Amino acid sequence: MSHPVRWIILFSLITAVMGPAFLSGCGTGGDDRPLSIWHQMEGEGKDVLQIQIERFMRSHPGREVTQLYKETEELRTHFQTAALAGSGADLVYGPADQVGPFEAMGLIRPLEDLVDLDSSDWAEGALVTYRGHLYQIGDRVGNHVALVYNRSLVSEPPKDSEALIRMGRELTRDPDGDGNPDRYALVWNYSEPFFFIPFLSGFGGWVMDAEAHPTLGTPEMEAALRFAHDLPARHKIAPLDADRETADALFKSGRAAMIINGSWAWGGYGKAGIDYGVARIPMIKETGLWPAPMVSAKGYSINVNVEGERLERALELLEFLTSEDVQLEFSRVLHTIPARISARQSPIVTQDEVLRQSLHQLEAGRPMPVVPEMRAIWDAMRPQYQSVMAGTKSPADAARDMQALAERKIAEMNE
Amino acid sequence: MSVLAGRRIPYLLIAPAAIVLLLVVLYPFGFNVVISFSNMSMRHFRDWSLVGLDQYRRVFEDPVFYGLLGKTALWTAVNLVAHVSLGILLAMVLNQNLKGRAVFRTLLILPWAVPQYITALTWRGLFHSEFGDINLMLTRWLHLPPVNWLKTLPGSFTACAVTNIWLGVPFMMIVALGGLQSIPRQLWEAADVDGASALRKFFHITLPLLKPVLIPAVVLGTIWTFNNLNVVWLVTNGGEPADQMHILVSYVYRSAFFLYRYAYAAALSMIIFLILLTLGMTFLKRSRVEAGGGV
Repeated sequence: MSHPVRWIILFSLITAVMGPAFLSGCGTGGDDRPLSIWHQMEGEGKDVLQIQIERFMRSHPGREVTQLYKETEELRTHFQTAALAGSGADLVYGPADQVGPFEAMGLIRPLEDLVDLDSSDWAEGALVTYRGHLYQIGDRVGNHVALVYNRSLVSEPPKDSEALIRMGRELTRDPDGDGNPDRYALVWNYSEPFFFIPFLSGFGGWVMDAEAHPTLGTPEMEAALRFAHDLPARHKIAPLDADRETADALFKSGRAAMIINGSWAWGGYGKAGIDYGVARIPMIKETGLWPAPMVSAKGYSINVNVEGERLERALELLEFLTSEDVQLEFSRVLHTIPARISARQSPIVTQDEVLRQSLHQLEAGRPMPVVPEMRAIWDAMRPQYQSVMAGTKSPADAARDMQALAERKIAEMNE
Repeated sequence: MSVLAGRRIPYLLIAPAAIVLLLVVLYPFGFNVVISFSNMSMRHFRDWSLVGLDQYRRVFEDPVFYGLLGKTALWTAVNLVAHVSLGILLAMVLNQNLKGRAVFRTLLILPWAVPQYITALTWRGLFHSEFGDINLMLTRWLHLPPVNWLKTLPGSFTACAVTNIWLGVPFMMIVALGGLQSIPRQLWEAADVDGASALRKFFHITLPLLKPVLIPAVVLGTIWTFNNLNVVWLVTNGGEPADQMHILVSYVYRSAFFLYRYAYAAALSMIIFLILLTLGMTFLKRSRVEAGGGV
């Protein structure tokens, strides 16, 4: 074989073998490559992150950092695959409930021996621990839903469920009488059970017990499902069908007076020209309980494959990104609640009405379990919740089936 | 070796692409085969081990599998019949000396040019029970009651099928149009002279002569439709209503990436692969036999 041919074969092999590694740009093997962050911050959140990364690089000459946005589910699956192969981002950012599966799969590194934190300065749940180890450091807490209302339609948000229904009947308008209201009092997402949790907790129920056993087939669940179903079907104050996009579009266009949605969406309402306020989801009159949305931190974990000097650099970046300054910058732009308690004294927080109300709702919330079983719970709740909202299943049957499905899925997941 | 020596440069030029293909197709395929015989799951993600045919047994013992197989077969059949019949019909229309034929052709190809996920999400909006245009047309223009498209299984299945038919017809139309343009016009003219009806001409001239181009397209269409995760997943928002609107491939996706049942999902995907391989081989073999018989 001639020399040029041998060289071509060698080149081909090098291209084929090394090409994907060069293209991926996210490996953790070579220490000279930039540190990488995979996150699920959209829009303005991504912009703020980029500005903070640039600040970090200016203050740490020679340090290069890249960030890559991925949709939440995509982020989780891509990170799992990459980390299993010994690659993936150095820092992975996301909601606290990803910690459970990542820990079970051995993809993230325990941090308690690597960072020096004054835990008294961090909000409850902001330092995400699982099975006795610290795996995630939050930069914000909350990620919760609250009642958002259009100030031009609602002067004072309802305080309890009876007031909600009473006000709802006045706010829902069908001027042409065609049976399709031109405006609804309330909208929320009927597809994802996350948005239903406040009703469940308002009736005294919860998703699992302390041992991570599902507690879905309960009278509380049945009552909560009936209440959620009745708002559109019986009281006719909400549309019969609404997913995330529909609910958002109705509120943004002024065709819904109130929406139950999370802080990630509020900025968009302001941009759409809605003068909005945030309040607690009304108390359930029957039980006297405030609906407790699930609250969780969002934060950074470190890939288990990051080692040596690269790990030191990753920790330095982690410290910067969870610093008070950076948390407050996110609060200023996105109305997020900082994970550091000291940061909450800042005028950025105290003088922001939306943030104050968000904190008020947060105080009523309950931490989202970070155990992997939560995934099976969501998967079991989703179809039954959807069936009840669509009117194809009774609340009693749905509660019973949810429990059975959750138990089966947890068993399958833990095979 | 002498063949290789004679064509050394072409082989060398395709070598990088061939090696990359081997790595990105064969390696994942082989890995999938291996984990289908393992216990890989969330609890055994790094420390998985081979457990033989356990996952295959689980698949075949699960009644859900048979329900999904039936639904997938129906889904594939409905879509293929619509793709082929509408595709041929439109191709025959475009094969006439129509005024503005180029414009119609461009318009009919457009759905193919739009990214699948945009089309799927647009149709999802159109099928919304309260605010979707389809129900608005049904109620306002035809004075019919609204249909709960995405909240019932038949409605959801119909919505997915309509979306996929919309997406798939242009491909079949282009294939059929190419085939039609290669049929000598004299054959139809001779049939006209003999007084053959339009149906007779279609079944005895057009369809047999279209077969050579249609069969590979139908095989491809079967595989694409059987494995069409995008449309089913996006139109039904991941299986709505109530996680019922799944075909085999969307169930694989949910099992692997939502419930971390990697080995089970790998076994199920191997079964899908074998079903499609058998179907494709049988179809192609039969068509070769028929072609050999002098179609």
